[in-house]
Amino acid sequence: MSSSTLLFCVCAFFALAGAVGTVSARRPLRAAMALLAHIVALAGLYLTLHAQLLAAIQLLVYAGAIVVLFVFVIMLIGPASETSGSGRAGMVRMTSLVLMGMVTVTIAFAIVDTDPAAPRLPAGYGDVEGVGGALYTQGLVPFEIISITLLVAIIGAVAVARGKTAVEKQIEAKEKARAEVEARLGEGAAPAPAE
Amino acid sequence: MSTGAILLASALKILFIVLVVVGAFAPLLVWVDRRQSAMIQDRVGPHRAGFTLPKDVVKGFDALRLPLLGGSLFAGLLIAVSFAGLFVMGFAGFEDLGGATAKDLYRFALAMLVFGLLLRAGYAVHSNIVEAGGKITLFGVLHPAADAMKMIWKEDFVPARADKLLHALAPVITLIPALVSFAVIPFADVLYLDYWDQVLPVAAEGAAEAVALVGDAVPMQVASLNVGILFIFAVAGTGVIGAAIGGYASDNKFSLMGGMRAASQMVSYEVALGLTIVPCFMMYDSLRLEDMALWQAQNAWGIFLPPLTLAFLLYFTAATAETKRVPFDLPEGESELVGGYLTEYSGLKFGIFFTGEYVEMVAFSALAAVLFFGGWDVPWLYANGFDLPGTWAFTVPLTDWVVSDKIAVTHWVVIALQVGSTLFKIIAFLFLQMMIRWSLPRFRYDQIMSLCWKGLLPIALVNILLTGILILLFD
Amino acid sequence: MFETYLPVFLMLGVATLVATLMFTLTSLLGPKKPTPEKMIPYEAGSNTTGARHLRLSVKFYLTAILFVVFDIEAVFLYPWASLFRELGWFGFLEMLLFLTILGVTLVYAWKKGALEWEK
Repeated sequence: MSSSTLLFCVCAFFALAGAVGTVSARRPLRAAMALLAHIVALAGLYLTLHAQLLAAIQLLVYAGAIVVLFVFVIMLIGPASETSGSGRAGMVRMTSLVLMGMVTVTIAFAIVDTDPAAPRLPAGYGDVEGVGGALYTQGLVPFEIISITLLVAIIGAVAVARGKTAVEKQIEAKEKARAEVEARLGEGAAPAPAE
Repeated sequence: MSTGAILLASALKILFIVLVVVGAFAPLLVWVDRRQSAMIQDRVGPHRAGFTLPKDVVKGFDALRLPLLGGSLFAGLLIAVSFAGLFVMGFAGFEDLGGATAKDLYRFALAMLVFGLLLRAGYAVHSNIVEAGGKITLFGVLHPAADAMKMIWKEDFVPARADKLLHALAPVITLIPALVSFAVIPFADVLYLDYWDQVLPVAAEGAAEAVALVGDAVPMQVASLNVGILFIFAVAGTGVIGAAIGGYASDNKFSLMGGMRAASQMVSYEVALGLTIVPCFMMYDSLRLEDMALWQAQNAWGIFLPPLTLAFLLYFTAATAETKRVPFDLPEGESELVGGYLTEYSGLKFGIFFTGEYVEMVAFSALAAVLFFGGWDVPWLYANGFDLPGTWAFTVPLTDWVVSDKIAVTHWVVIALQVGSTLFKIIAFLFLQMMIRWSLPRFRYDQIMSLCWKGLLPIALVNILLTGILILLFD
Repeated sequence: MFETYLPVFLMLGVATLVATLMFTLTSLLGPKKPTPEKMIPYEAGSNTTGARHLRLSVKFYLTAILFVVFDIEAVFLYPWASLFRELGWFGFLEMLLFLTILGVTLVYAWKKGALEWEK
């Protein structure tokens, strides 16, 4: 067994284990950690494909940023996120089984169609100079569009964060009423908090 | 090189890093931190851990003191005598004095100097031991060791409703990225195994062709990766998760708040940190850390190039915040959050978090050394030896020894000096961080966040463009 | 590829070993005497009251999103910076446009108050 086959087997094992863990974990934060393991293993799989820049970016963006974002959201929501899913578990399972079968068949066809002789890699394949050179000369338009996509992401996030839900409005109204009552009770005895 | 040889070399390098960083730097930093805090608060610092020698041994030490002092004085006398002999030889024109040539006298004086200094140092050590009544504390260095021992034997308990698995995972996730990021940091130039005990044959200045070096070349870093510094950020980025899940899994509101604050602060400054050093890559034309060090050795240290000077200031601020050190230690602010996300940690689990923080400090100091201070570069030291400024040479009187501006140095000594240079720069940065710790008051949380997003980040972006314009115009 | 990254995997293994060793040492050698009082969350001596979870500010979420966006920006800057001299003015203008749009993003978040932490 060659060394890259060994690397592939180890990474594939951890990737699969991480994926299964992500789906099966009951606590969302544990699922996120399993996802982290999956993502790190995926970076190893990129290495077997000689895509070292992509492997580093995979770690930087997915393990370092996306998983962190997930963890943040789970921490914000708190125990409310630990409830089990909807009551239609059987339906979901059926659908995912069918989808999984379809993906398997597609991949099997792709494998059969592939020429087993490995193609010769051009010099600088997958490293910083190679990918960067291609991106900044041939991939100009997609590259600039990315910045606009990122702008849209921020606009969306700000809109989500600033909009108040009906429940929050109710809570706010209640708090205001209580503050008024307290201010009335405390009149004379203590000055109301200036705010 | 064969895979086995690479494996062996890597194992040695990793051992060196782990021993130096976890074994030496981390405990010493703990010690410095505690010594300083004790001095500033005017109380007994880490001084009490030590071992006491038996009375008889102390008596022996006491008896040895006078001979040691006498010996060192005698060595001094001998040095004076040999110089007197040299003067006699110089003025009277003798070739030798009773069979001893001038060279012999020089050698003898040098040996006596070393010998005398050692005896004098021995006298000082013996006196200190006797005066302390036989108690050896080694300036309190034993205290971190005692603390580590204590931590191992402490009870490790977790709140009943905490998520035990994640609670245990969090410190591990913090320490691993901090250690792994050392993998790409170069500690010296490439070591050519076949030339290790000779002066490296390099091309003379102005020569048309470089001398081809043959044989195995061992890079003085664990792995020489094409992605270079991206690797450090890719790995270090996952360290945030440790603080976050540690806070969440503890089932404690202080921990949760501390973990959230820590994670938020770390991700913010990670961005700032990543952007402040982009001008370095533009200048050095590479993402490989060994290339950056080499570029600086051949041209100039980054700190002396104006846009990079600004970048360094930004980097140092962001790095201090990223390691959550004072004045950015809000996540652990004990007056408001008890212990932050560390509240529910005890024993070595807490110790791992602690070690991770110090290891991270060392990593960022090493990165600062490589990015801005030439990495392993020693001023005037080249691959084949020193080339001091100017052109000069003089002969030592009465001998044919010539001292000149060019001193040939054996290859392995050059490498050792470079490793020493890297470590020295790391220590200098750590010292600076230690000084800052007790000099500045803590920021407010909103100040920390605005400093990052409204201060460092925009300045870093402008600095990138500025560096670009400068390079395109003047290069 | 595997040979280049072999030392990295070795380093990862050693780091994991160091961390887990420290971790198992304390759980093996430390005493184990749990009492009900010990097992409640430590909140400076007073008992926990109220809900188990704090309501955290949504600002943290905004920070995380901003972080993701600017992290991706950094990812694009790194290869560009190492190729900077090769790309020349063309590359500079290209990145100027990219950074301008992201600057607009930052200004937008700023003006919308996403960066204000004073309550």
